[in-house]
Amino acid sequence: MRVINRNTSRENASRAGNCRMLQQRLQAVDFAIVETTLYLDVYPDCKKALEYHKRLLKERKMVAEALHGSCGPTTAWEEQNDGWEWVKGPWPWEPDAN
Amino acid sequence: MWIYDKKLQYPVKIKNPNPKLAQVIISQLGGPDGELAASMRYLHQRYAMPHDEIKGILTDVGTEELAHLEMVAAILHQLTRNLSEEQIKNSPFATYFVDHTTGLYPVAGSGLPFDMKYVGVKGDVITDLHEDLAAEQKARTTYDNILRLTDDPDVREPIKFLRQRELVHYQRFGDALRIAQDRMDSKNFYAYNPAFDKASGVFRKPK
Repeated sequence: MRVINRNTSRENASRAGNCRMLQQRLQAVDFAIVETTLYLDVYPDCKKALEYHKRLLKERKMVAEALHGSCGPTTAWEEQNDGWEWVKGPWPWEPDAN
Repeated sequence: MWIYDKKLQYPVKIKNPNPKLAQVIISQLGGPDGELAASMRYLHQRYAMPHDEIKGILTDVGTEELAHLEMVAAILHQLTRNLSEEQIKNSPFATYFVDHTTGLYPVAGSGLPFDMKYVGVKGDVITDLHEDLAAEQKARTTYDNILRLTDDPDVREPIKFLRQRELVHYQRFGDALRIAQDRMDSKNFYAYNPAFDKASGVFRKPK
């Protein structure tokens, strides 16, 4: 994910803050999906868990689309809108990416 | 196969470099009970397992441990940024620095490089799951020890997350063991190893 630097520094700071918030929302829903996955691996017939998983995927789609639209792709498997976007900008282990 | 998602599972943002702390946290990278050992253990055990649920849980926990390996690396990277020569000279980190600078090379806190001998893959359903239960507790203990050694909230937050995950993995491996035992002869769990023997395999019925 990277911040596209075409605007004033205030606009950049506000966009960076927005991207951080969207990424945190995606981290939260992805974590819930991982947790549900581990549970379903050993309780594959649990209807409640299966429904929860379905709802989480719906939410993930919304959040991922918002993040991708404003801040760019987080995988090489998504559309790249501004050159080879996904390698640019801070990488996950760098403080600016968190 | 694996796809890379370019974000950490849980954020790491550390304001204050601390090479002394990095010297102990590196055990969760390359030490006996660290994330590299965990991911190699689960991802390699899964191939011999006979039940879908167990192949699934070993694959998914093994994958999550790779994400944790990345988080530990992020913590170490941020603890060793912008160091002055003074900071390095007077810390136990100096002996690591001379060989690796601030590159990340999986070693234990003692400096011993990562060793596959830390990993057990016995090819027996009961044995491997017990190894996994123990591994999660050893990892949890290591995180407990790390929490004893720092007050920095930027470091404590991701470490507490990682510690919590070990407890959940422990629960799931317990579930997997129960599943395996439910499918064994309740009068003798050791009648045969479902990862290798066919029902009439090694322990042949008398003619």
